[in-house]
Amino acid sequence: MVQKRPDRTLGPGHDTFWNGCDRGELRLQRCTGCGTYAWPVVQKCEQCAADDLEFQTVSGRGKVVSWCSFVQDYYRGILPVPYDTIMVELEEGPMFLSNPHEFGENEIAFGMPVEVAFIACEDSAGRFQLPVFRKAKV
Amino acid sequence: MSYMSLFDVPTPARELAGKAAIVGLGETDFHRDYQAARAKTEGYEPPTAEGLAATAFERALADSGLEKSDIDGISVSFLYGGPDAASMAASLGLTPRYLNDRGGGICAGPIPVACGAIAEGKCDTVALIFSVATRSIGRKFGGQKFDSDAPSSYYYHHPWGWSSQAAHWAMIWQHYQQVYGASEADLGSVAVQIRHNATLNPNAVMQKPLTIEDYLASRYVVKPLHLFDLCLVNDGAVCLIVRRADLARDLPHTPVSVEGWGRASVTRDKMRTLVVDRMRPQYQEAGRQALDMAGVALADVRHFEGYDASTIHLIDHVEGHGFVDPGAGLEFCKGGGMAIDGALPVNTGGGILSGTYMHGWNHVAEIVRQLRHEAGARQVDGVDVSMFSLAQTDQVHPIIFRRGER
Repeated sequence: MVQKRPDRTLGPGHDTFWNGCDRGELRLQRCTGCGTYAWPVVQKCEQCAADDLEFQTVSGRGKVVSWCSFVQDYYRGILPVPYDTIMVELEEGPMFLSNPHEFGENEIAFGMPVEVAFIACEDSAGRFQLPVFRKAKV
Repeated sequence: MSYMSLFDVPTPARELAGKAAIVGLGETDFHRDYQAARAKTEGYEPPTAEGLAATAFERALADSGLEKSDIDGISVSFLYGGPDAASMAASLGLTPRYLNDRGGGICAGPIPVACGAIAEGKCDTVALIFSVATRSIGRKFGGQKFDSDAPSSYYYHHPWGWSSQAAHWAMIWQHYQQVYGASEADLGSVAVQIRHNATLNPNAVMQKPLTIEDYLASRYVVKPLHLFDLCLVNDGAVCLIVRRADLARDLPHTPVSVEGWGRASVTRDKMRTLVVDRMRPQYQEAGRQALDMAGVALADVRHFEGYDASTIHLIDHVEGHGFVDPGAGLEFCKGGGMAIDGALPVNTGGGILSGTYMHGWNHVAEIVRQLRHEAGARQVDGVDVSMFSLAQTDQVHPIIFRRGER
């Protein structure tokens, strides 16, 4: 089932990320100079200001460092409330805001290991695969 | 211009300390106007930002004891739209030689900018006007329609349903709970304390006392944040008249000297800095700049006003600047440390949680009253140094004020 979602940010750089998702790959920018990963998509490295960045596929593994559940309907019904959001610290460093997949608020724990999964979604620009996180397989 | 631009704020420097002082204060009737906006009785006309601005200016001018002809500078901050400085000056009957439309909207940029202009001799007396008709224009916070000039954390995570100011604070608060083992009732103590302060301020929007039970029973907006963890939305205006220090004496009120300011921004890894570090590096850096410029120690600060977009945000300020250790803020509040007679009275007028949503200008207005020793039932005994700290999700701007001499 395709889920309706609020709009992505699209354009140069952003499209590379989303195209990766459509192929089942979580790809983030990495600075060719200092090696720092970036998320969200940046124009230049936040660490060393270099503008030579290339997308690399990351492990998709991380741990939950925070979470919150939306009760107020900020998106006017596009997403049924309540729903959960999690902040995942990826192994490669960046913090990635996402949704828990196949587990809910009651099961979320500080530091729990998770791994990326992709679900079919649709926004006003069309269909896409959205990276979400499920409990990591032991 | 919803987001403050940093480029005009003068670099903190000792030689700029105490060059100008606040000599006039004017505000609109926050409490009365809020009641009227909710009641909407027949014939009710919603206010305009320009109309509110004019009221605040007239009151500030009267408060200062100055004449219109003394006002040779104007700085306007209409956060959600309004006339430019030249048009506003014309409608107020002013003929300033210094005009500023670029001071930024929320209250940290315009004050140092005005002090810098005065120090450079561009003018002697600036009317700084802030005005918003936030409620009357139906401004919403969060969701797909949020400003395109917002920092990316406000819109980038839309596909995951993550939006709004509240969500930022909710993530911070959840993480805080996990790290320090705090409870919802602990955070509720902040909402209760600030509401209590508001009940001592006749012009505060919220006048009804709040209990912990009320807090815990209130709805979640973004769980774990309750309704009472989040600031108000209301209309109003504040005008401050800032005057060259040597001209600030012999006026009706004790001048409030602008002694120091600082600025620090989050430049990388925003969500980690915000949620995990709780912007402590930025609070520390900007606070140090402001204190050094003012030549005072943190321990000299007897009254603190922090931008309280949420209760946990206020705790971030108090811990971030080092008034208490990281993780100790809620116990400090529960023990009465933030009360009027506490070790560090905080947001004595009710802040934006319970006072009035004037985006930091209300905090400075409260500092003016406190340092004049005109704060009535909520007066902090003998206060002579106050600190204002503005912080958004990616920047920190403190200002140090001192009670001047007449």
